[in-house]
Amino acid sequence: MLIEARNLRKRFGDVEALAGVSFHVKSGEIYGLLGPNGAGKSTTINILCGLVQPDGGEARLNGIDVVRNAVDARRLLGVVPQEVALYSELSARDNLAFFGRLYGLRGADLRARIGVVLEQVSLADRAKEPIERFSGGMLRRLNIAAGILHRPKAVLLDEPTVGLDPQTRASILDLIRSIATDAAILYTTHYLDEAERLCDRIGIIDHGALLVEGTLAELRTAAGEREIVALRGTFKSDAIPAALGLGAEIQLLKSGPDELLFTVTSAERSLSGLLATAGSFGEVREVAVKQPSLENLFIKLTGRELRD
Amino acid sequence: MNALVIACHHLFRIVRSPGLILILLAIPLTLAGIEYAAFGPTVASGRLPPIKVLVLDEDRSFLAGAVPQLFTSGGPLKDTFETLAVPDRAAAQALFQKNDAAALVIVPAGFQQALLDGRRAELQFAPNPLQTFSPQIAESVLSMVTLIGNGLYQQALTPLQRINALKNSGRQPTADEIAEISRGFFEAGRRVNGLSAINNISVTSVRPAGQREGIGASPQAFFAFIFPGLVIFGVMFVSQSLGLRLLRDRTRGLERRVAMAPVSPATQLAGSFLFMIVGLFVILMLLMLVGAAVFRIELRHPPALLLIGAGFSVFAAALHLAIIGIAKDDRSASFIGTGIIMVLALLGGTFIPAEQFPDFLRRVAFVMPNGAAQQAFIDVLAHGRTLAEASTRVGVTWAWALAMLGAALVLSRRRAIA
Repeated sequence: MLIEARNLRKRFGDVEALAGVSFHVKSGEIYGLLGPNGAGKSTTINILCGLVQPDGGEARLNGIDVVRNAVDARRLLGVVPQEVALYSELSARDNLAFFGRLYGLRGADLRARIGVVLEQVSLADRAKEPIERFSGGMLRRLNIAAGILHRPKAVLLDEPTVGLDPQTRASILDLIRSIATDAAILYTTHYLDEAERLCDRIGIIDHGALLVEGTLAELRTAAGEREIVALRGTFKSDAIPAALGLGAEIQLLKSGPDELLFTVTSAERSLSGLLATAGSFGEVREVAVKQPSLENLFIKLTGRELRD
Repeated sequence: MNALVIACHHLFRIVRSPGLILILLAIPLTLAGIEYAAFGPTVASGRLPPIKVLVLDEDRSFLAGAVPQLFTSGGPLKDTFETLAVPDRAAAQALFQKNDAAALVIVPAGFQQALLDGRRAELQFAPNPLQTFSPQIAESVLSMVTLIGNGLYQQALTPLQRINALKNSGRQPTADEIAEISRGFFEAGRRVNGLSAINNISVTSVRPAGQREGIGASPQAFFAFIFPGLVIFGVMFVSQSLGLRLLRDRTRGLERRVAMAPVSPATQLAGSFLFMIVGLFVILMLLMLVGAAVFRIELRHPPALLLIGAGFSVFAAALHLAIIGIAKDDRSASFIGTGIIMVLALLGGTFIPAEQFPDFLRRVAFVMPNGAAQQAFIDVLAHGRTLAEASTRVGVTWAWALAMLGAALVLSRRRAIA
């Protein structure tokens, strides 16, 4: 295994950021760590980079302990941080030259690698230009180039498409797919469609715990064929579960004063009954029905939508 | 090795984007240039520019015509003053407004007659309100010369009073009266002649061996005296600017990205220190070379200058690395840094020469890091002292440098761990 996390635990004061997270990523595999903001994705990345020490558990890169041999472990690692961390006064080539030297690349090898990755991210014709003139998408591509310049065996990509337009996002996903041939990639995101499109395996993380992991097909199966019905409005939520008399047809996922979430075998059959019961205990202002999907699974597991 | 890569990278960034650093470097050079424009020609000629005094003669008498000579009669006054006769007060006012004269002396009508009558005779002195020092010098000299003149006049007062009495009586003096008046003038002349020894007094300066002749002795000496303070002041601000660059790297996630590379925290810290120290040392030495080229400062004892420059570079770098080690953001770092620079500049004698300070403040100035470095530079550049002779101040500079380096390492490490 190139990337290996075993029972990682980390607390920041009263907040439990990681509560025993375990996963692994093989060479050539893209593993998506999916979760909302604050779920524990960045803490996991920071531990794998050796920037944060875990309170418990262990993290290894190609068998090297990232806590005990942080510098050695980092030689195998390429990191693409969430923010564009590049020197705006320098050209694309000069930025890459600096990061390449930090990883021990020198001379002709460094120049050759810079040429290759600039071609890979389609910036070869802008190599000598100060990057302060670059667009957001170009900066993101160069940000990735700086992370893969030294041919890392493991690449951590921390939400590399945040804030980009759909077209640029699509080109970056293609780029990531192209670099995954000979590296293990850990990809964090809170975009479900990205995870569905890009990742070989996906782990859903929330409140510091890995709730489920598997291939997309496995996760869809886990989501079942049930639909999700969301009723939004104002409710006396405590009284509703008893009044509904829930059975196999309808399962309550979450009840709150402003939202009720159910999984149902058929929304068409159950909706009128749900509306009548919920209406007698409050006011329904909005109804949403979701088809079986990864998002449904996420809601089923966490009781909330990913954008929360 | 990576520390060197990081240091070179930051230096390369300055070369690629030197704007702010050049502006900061221009500050001491501009200040020195202004001082050169103000004092350079004067210092080059070896004397102060003459103070121009206007004279308005409303009496049009023999004695009134001698008044300008009070300022230019000879000796040191000859080079200190120049006089210009003006026809009326309006002409004097016009020259005042052009700032072309320091003062106006008016000899009122009846001046000579009053003197001959033994009455009070008055000269009027009007300073140019646009100037401060020159009118005061002119007024002091006029008062002093008048005092001497009054003393001489007192010697001949008795025979003059006898002449006036005879004139008022309307009769011709007798031979005895003429003889008495003549004796009175003779005695007065004999007393005044006794003062002729004054003419033989001269002043010889006695200085310890190696003591400078004075900062006005040559332009080189003058700028060797003022330039180090300006350079040190400028370097402090450049250091602040470099420190803020590193702090912005932190807030923009660049420092974090470097930390994700196979670079230990100690190496990253060493790279930052090396960049700051080398950068400041190069800038300080460049400023000195520019000073030598433009203001013709003689760069004596290069090893001493290099050691002082290195010590102060270490101090300034460590100070601002310590500040960014404790500051939350670049705003608070700017506030703290500027505050410390201004306090150091005030206490260290950047704005007012420390040798003019009261005793206690002077002692404080010479133990301040910038004050010690500035004085060490002055000792070498202006006084021609060797490294051994300036060793105390060089030692104070290096003591501060090492102490601040230790503090910066502790604070930066604590920050890195946090």
